[in-house]
Amino acid sequence: MTDTWFLATLWLGLAMLATLLSIWLRIATALSEIVVGTVAQLIIGAVISSSVLGAHEPWIKFLAGTGAIILTFLAGAELDPDVFKIKWKEATALGIAGFVAPFLGCAALAYYVLGWDVRASWLAGVALSTTSVAVVYAVMLETGLNKTIYGKVVLAGCFINDLGTVLALGLIFAPFTIRTLIFVGVSVVVFAVLPYLTPRFFKKYGNRPSELETKFLLLCLFGMGALAGWAESEAVLPAYVIGMVLAGTVGKDHVLIRRLRTVTFGLLTPFYFIRAGSFVSVPALIAGYGVFLILLFGKMATKFVAVYPVTKFYKSPGKEAMYTTLLMSTGLTFGSISALFGLSHNIIDTAQYSFLIAAVVGSAVVPTLIANAFFLPWHLLRSADQEQASASKPTGESFPLEEGESI
Amino acid sequence: MISKVLIAYDGSQQAERAYEFGLDMALKYGAQVIVLSVARPPEPPVNVELQAVVESATEHYHELFNELKAKAAVREIEPQFEVRVGHPAEQIVHFAEENGADVIVMGHRGESFLQRWLLGSVAKRVLSYAHCTVVVVR
Repeated sequence: MTDTWFLATLWLGLAMLATLLSIWLRIATALSEIVVGTVAQLIIGAVISSSVLGAHEPWIKFLAGTGAIILTFLAGAELDPDVFKIKWKEATALGIAGFVAPFLGCAALAYYVLGWDVRASWLAGVALSTTSVAVVYAVMLETGLNKTIYGKVVLAGCFINDLGTVLALGLIFAPFTIRTLIFVGVSVVVFAVLPYLTPRFFKKYGNRPSELETKFLLLCLFGMGALAGWAESEAVLPAYVIGMVLAGTVGKDHVLIRRLRTVTFGLLTPFYFIRAGSFVSVPALIAGYGVFLILLFGKMATKFVAVYPVTKFYKSPGKEAMYTTLLMSTGLTFGSISALFGLSHNIIDTAQYSFLIAAVVGSAVVPTLIANAFFLPWHLLRSADQEQASASKPTGESFPLEEGESI
Repeated sequence: MISKVLIAYDGSQQAERAYEFGLDMALKYGAQVIVLSVARPPEPPVNVELQAVVESATEHYHELFNELKAKAAVREIEPQFEVRVGHPAEQIVHFAEENGADVIVMGHRGESFLQRWLLGSVAKRVLSYAHCTVVVVR
């Protein structure tokens, strides 16, 4: 048991380091944890032994897997079901466009250009088809579009996009046996019953220190995850859908969601993201950086080609269509889950996994950097009309600073 | 004539000084005071974490606003408090324009080189793009 405590101390130490880095650099904790996992494995592997980190220990696998499942559930629970009910056609069109184009485009790119085998190519398509709901949501919050119908439709579209990703991940690699049929059948029943049963059950027995709500949700998530695993599917598929179907009930219980977040961020997701980072091979990445660039370009190009026309068709306000499209980048959560699924099921090798993780991280970071470096000043500059209108107002003189000048 | 003072507040010592300065200015001109705090999402925003960060920052600022209210009450000023989400510079500039602020008062934090490179200096961007006078309190 002593070894376990030592290993747990090492992992929590890395998690602390990653969190401090994320605070100092103001970057996402998940990103920081992936990078810390990669660097730690590189250094520890070179200095001592690659097995020291113990990423294949069953209890680390369990904590990491639970982290992925609960994180996926919480991501699904952020859906606003009311908007989806009103504007489901637009949201579905946007979501399908956002999923299908990068899925098929990146899979084709991997197969025809990079020469990957069929299963690895499909997995590349899945990993790069996801959209970061959070990136789009942040833009919506910043521009105030989250309160408009347009903003809500785009957000609902992102959920549909991610649903496409988890469905593809859960079903494409499944063998389609009687087990798959049982898994799908039970899932449909559970997804239909849970929104009715859960709030009533919580109302009768919930709100006690014994945390019945958390236990019930974990029971459902683990149970469906086990069934998915038995059917050779993926546990995050039912977790995401359970999150979505409970978004209108459990998702609105802020206290419960906060308690789940505490255990998720405090213990579980560090294991998941550090572990995901530890499998990245830096030498392979350096040797084949061109592959990473091709995947990154393919992802951004296909997403742009598909999403931009749809946002314009649904009359997105001017610049925001371009901005939203640019920021419909790959989410770290589903992108890394897909890549890790591929690695653990021997669909892709370590080098391919490294390229995919790098492309996922790149497509999450690059649009944000572009937006900060170039789009922000554009966004701040007022139009000529506004300038003219305000010319008559007594305002302070503006004096743009030269680049590099500090105050 | 200054009738509306916008104070950008992030809870730092520099922001405290800017707040005091802004209150004095408002008292002198008999101006209305608006205090704006900005919750900054992590870069890049990540599912679930973003919602958690925004909620926690908003709650944190609302607690700080209670202390600010007490300080303003001594001067018989009743500021209006707001929390926005996004890049601080962008939100400060937009909010100032939307609300017709005559002056923006803000502190200047010593951001690291990496933060400036990744996100840019907040004060520099506000100075560059604000429609009105900007006072950076040191």
